[in-house]
Amino acid sequence: MLNTLLKKIIKTGAGRFRYVLAMIGLTVALLLILAAIQLQANYWQLLKGNGAQDSIANFLVINKVVTNQNAGNTNLTDQDIEDLKKQPFIQAVGVVTPSRFKVAASGGSAMPFYTDMFFESVPDQFLDITGGDWKWDDQTQFIPIVIPNQFLDMYNFGFAKSQNLPQLSHELVKSIPIRIDIQTPTGQKSFYAKVAGFSDRISSILVPQAFMEWANKNFATEPPKGASRVIIRTDDPSNPKLIEYLDSHHMTTDMEKTRFSKYRQIVGFVVQVSGFTGLAMFLFALLIFSLFIELTIASCREEIRLLVTLGASPGQLRKFLMKTFYPANIVIAIIVLVILSILQWLLSGLLAHESMTISPVISLYTVAGAVIVLLILWWVHVRTIKRQIAGT
Amino acid sequence: MEITLENIIPIPLKENLEKRPSQVWHNKVHFGPAAKVKIKAPSGTGKTTLVHFLYGLRADYTGTLNWDTKALNRLDADQIAHYRQSEISVIFQDLRLFAHLTARENIELNRVLQPKEPYYPDTVIQEMATTLQVDHVLDQACGICSYGEQQRIAIIRALVQPFSLLIMDEPFSHLDQNNAQKAAALIDSECDKRGAGFVLTDLDEDSFFNYNTYLSL
Repeated sequence: MLNTLLKKIIKTGAGRFRYVLAMIGLTVALLLILAAIQLQANYWQLLKGNGAQDSIANFLVINKVVTNQNAGNTNLTDQDIEDLKKQPFIQAVGVVTPSRFKVAASGGSAMPFYTDMFFESVPDQFLDITGGDWKWDDQTQFIPIVIPNQFLDMYNFGFAKSQNLPQLSHELVKSIPIRIDIQTPTGQKSFYAKVAGFSDRISSILVPQAFMEWANKNFATEPPKGASRVIIRTDDPSNPKLIEYLDSHHMTTDMEKTRFSKYRQIVGFVVQVSGFTGLAMFLFALLIFSLFIELTIASCREEIRLLVTLGASPGQLRKFLMKTFYPANIVIAIIVLVILSILQWLLSGLLAHESMTISPVISLYTVAGAVIVLLILWWVHVRTIKRQIAGT
Repeated sequence: MEITLENIIPIPLKENLEKRPSQVWHNKVHFGPAAKVKIKAPSGTGKTTLVHFLYGLRADYTGTLNWDTKALNRLDADQIAHYRQSEISVIFQDLRLFAHLTARENIELNRVLQPKEPYYPDTVIQEMATTLQVDHVLDQACGICSYGEQQRIAIIRALVQPFSLLIMDEPFSHLDQNNAQKAAALIDSECDKRGAGFVLTDLDEDSFFNYNTYLSL
């Protein structure tokens, strides 16, 4: 009853048109701000979500670009490596250690081949082969090695087909002992090796770091060469800063893994433009709201004074004014969230055709963004009303 | 509630009033629930000013004015509102009704202003209006009622809320003798019902109430 009477006394008719404009402005502003948040959330999901299935994406092998000028001298200096370690977008750096001895490998009757080859090793933390297989000490019968998946693919789909040889599965390859002949200063030594795993990450033949150190110490026929390749772990291979850094230091890596970088710059740009425009519009909407509240209270100054004279408490008036002005904001926020939910649902359907998975519902960040905006609006309303009531 | 005045002098009238003898100005006066006070004063001696001081609308005075034990000018807006909702009621000389609201709405506003359960049900409005013969204008905008009708609306408005002290500033100035009698009888019975006191200011002598104190400004 009191509210009905107050509504008759405190007329909100003045400047109605401007208020509606401000409301529309707030709707657009909120739509832009929350769309920016949602876009960013979607992008993160694409990046992190798919990255989780494909953990190799977070490991990159880096080497210098081979040019006519530096051919034969592409080592990374200690300083280069230290500098890499300092970059905030790189979490870990591991040196790829090359073997300093000559190696030849041959299969048995199951896989008749003979080839000269090389070994490299990286610290264990950069490999995803877990379990007891990836261990070596001088008592171990077989040296575990990791070969690139591409090798097996080349053999199975190229070589075996053309030569009428049997195709080999991962399991079969793992069970075949391979004879390794190492040329040592004191003659040839033979070992047996078994494939312990396949890597997409490093296009090289890897042995455990322990074996490499032991073998380099005992069999080296060449002086230490320094590192020509390093492996890094990064939480975000598409970080444009990483690409920029590599470019400016004449380094290169697997570009397939960093292809997101370009998209990310575009997404970042869109998010920024949309976010800033939304923010600017939001500030104007806030300004108009507080002006509208001031206008309303000023045009009802006499009535409000009489209400206070009759015993209306400032608290009652503030509550009434909040009830009059604030709920529209909640309605707008809900409308915007509904619009975004529909858009997100449509977008997830659209992207599903491109086999990109994003959540069909809007992210919690977006909802949190809406709540924060509502809190800011609430604060501005409370503050303006309080000041204006105190001023009458 | 109790109102205590001590050495109150309105600042704008200071020079005039300091020299004049008065039973209120520059004196100690006390109004409580037992008060049936008539303050008689000629025009221009600060009658309305006193009413506004008592009700807390103005504070341009020297001296101390207490509502109960606290200085009125130390109370915050919410405390004052609480007093006005449940302890002190007023009939202004200039009536102060919302012109665009109906008579009923003006009265209703004061009935429902306190957050607690209203003192009276809304049927009381009709009863009082019938008693004072203004029931025919209840649903008419106050702005188009005659002064006499407006004054009776203002009286009813002051009586539908809880109070322990009623302040009246020439409450019958626009009423004929007959209507003034009826209004006074209603006010008297409402004060008795609440055990409340009243302070009435007027220009002349009257015999509407059994005053127990007469003061001159």
